[in-house]
Amino acid sequence: MAIIAFHEITKQFPGTSKPAVDAVTFEVREGSTCMLVGTSGSGKTTLLRMVNRLIEPTSGQIFIDGKNILEENRILLRRRIGYVIQQVGLFPHMNIGENVRVTAEIAGGWTKERMAQRVDELLELVGLPPKEYRKRFPRQLSGGQQQRVGLARALATDPAILLMDEPFGALDAITRARMQDELLRIQQNVRKTILFVSHDIEEAFKLGDQIAVMHDGKLQQLGTPVELLANPANDYVRKLVGADSILRQIEYLPVTDALDRRPEAVSSAHWGDLSTCSSNATLLEAMLILIETNAPALTVQDKDTQEPLGYITLASINQEITRTRSHETTPEESKI
Amino acid sequence: MHYILQPNNYNLSDPGSIPNLFIAHLKLLGIVMLISLIIAIPIGILVARYRQLYFPVVSISGLLYTIPSLAAFAFLIPITGFGSSTTAIIPLVIYNQLVLIRNTATGINGIDPLLIEVGRAMGMKPLQILFRITLPLALPVIVAGVRIATVTTVGIAALASFIGLTTLGDLIFQNLAVYDLDAIAGGAILIAAFAILADLLLLAVQIGLSRGRSALSVA
Repeated sequence: MAIIAFHEITKQFPGTSKPAVDAVTFEVREGSTCMLVGTSGSGKTTLLRMVNRLIEPTSGQIFIDGKNILEENRILLRRRIGYVIQQVGLFPHMNIGENVRVTAEIAGGWTKERMAQRVDELLELVGLPPKEYRKRFPRQLSGGQQQRVGLARALATDPAILLMDEPFGALDAITRARMQDELLRIQQNVRKTILFVSHDIEEAFKLGDQIAVMHDGKLQQLGTPVELLANPANDYVRKLVGADSILRQIEYLPVTDALDRRPEAVSSAHWGDLSTCSSNATLLEAMLILIETNAPALTVQDKDTQEPLGYITLASINQEITRTRSHETTPEESKI
Repeated sequence: MHYILQPNNYNLSDPGSIPNLFIAHLKLLGIVMLISLIIAIPIGILVARYRQLYFPVVSISGLLYTIPSLAAFAFLIPITGFGSSTTAIIPLVIYNQLVLIRNTATGINGIDPLLIEVGRAMGMKPLQILFRITLPLALPVIVAGVRIATVTTVGIAALASFIGLTTLGDLIFQNLAVYDLDAIAGGAILIAAFAILADLLLLAVQIGLSRGRSALSVA
């Protein structure tokens, strides 16, 4: 397990007037997935590549578990970090088994039997039956299958940290969604500290425990998807996360923010038993139940104790959405 | 054809018989190719890495390639001696440099830089990158160069008979005076067959080394 901490990290490429990454400070929690989002040129990939020192920062420090990695041996550092990129980059002269094994071979300290076992384990984990795929060559695999191997290769040495640079960016929409689900499933088992670069905000919301929004080399905001939606730090973040879009809001905002706790909000005598929903549901889920049951309200129960916490009505949803939208500045911006 | 088919030309105790000439020719080829590769591959790796060296190195080896072989032999005889294998080996090695250096550099420069970066990112040291990525990927192109060099060397090595070495060329040069056309044609056919066979053999090696990729792209 590992914590990645950036401290005032800056990178200015020679011959450029502005730094690509500008005094970025934040921390990625152990075992969590942090999504780096922003438009191209925002510095997100540069920031990622400084973690395994493919790019050396101009100033600042990066700590992994409190140790300054800029003082470490670069080669040994890289052997402790998994790296997955959009173009995958499997070695065409090695078969799938060899492509996964090579990471462990380079890192050293693995017996032949242990490596063979590990390769099969990993191919199984990423959904490629080893008996069928071990001996195949990269060019015999589809793009999605190749990226599965890319992921298995990055996990070969069981590194605590995974760096992923738009790994699903080149895949078609259906394959991409499936790979995202697979990553969520795998992450449940392996609990890596993942730094994931994406320009797809949907992907960031789906995969991220936290999202770091980058723009012009600066960190604009770090927060959970819900935090970004409910309280965007500035207009850039608001536009990027689509905080003005009702659909995005009801899809991710939790029901607990829209509870009506007044007992008089609903007179249960009139309506008999109300349907219930759990406190970790989203506004969208609550709305769907309201529509389905054609009832005016829902009882929200605590997800653990089943205690009723309050009520959800269309009016309370409307109030919550109006509240988050009240930050809007000009009508011009709400179009985006 | 008569000469090739005559059984007494295959008498192993006769040093001038076809099998013995073939073995002598093969030995000369082997030594020349070995020395050529030992020199050319490191130079090829070097000029691929430091590209400003590529042009001067390829120009010089191209210039040397234009020296007629007989002239080179004649030039070396006073220094290394008539009948000495060194007299033949030096020019043959020099002729091979152009194609071997160029193919080594081309093979290496043709590798997707992304793969090198992936190697670096997983913590490979420079030598591990060279032996696990660069050379295996460049090898089919390098062997394609070896094939051309081998065919050329088989042909030019036959001329070494002219300066007193034993090769299949003996069948041509020693029968020139008596104008035994049958023997001369036999020698020419054997040398050509040798070159073709060597080429096919190396093609098989090249295909074997292209595992996972399309071998025909560099055939």
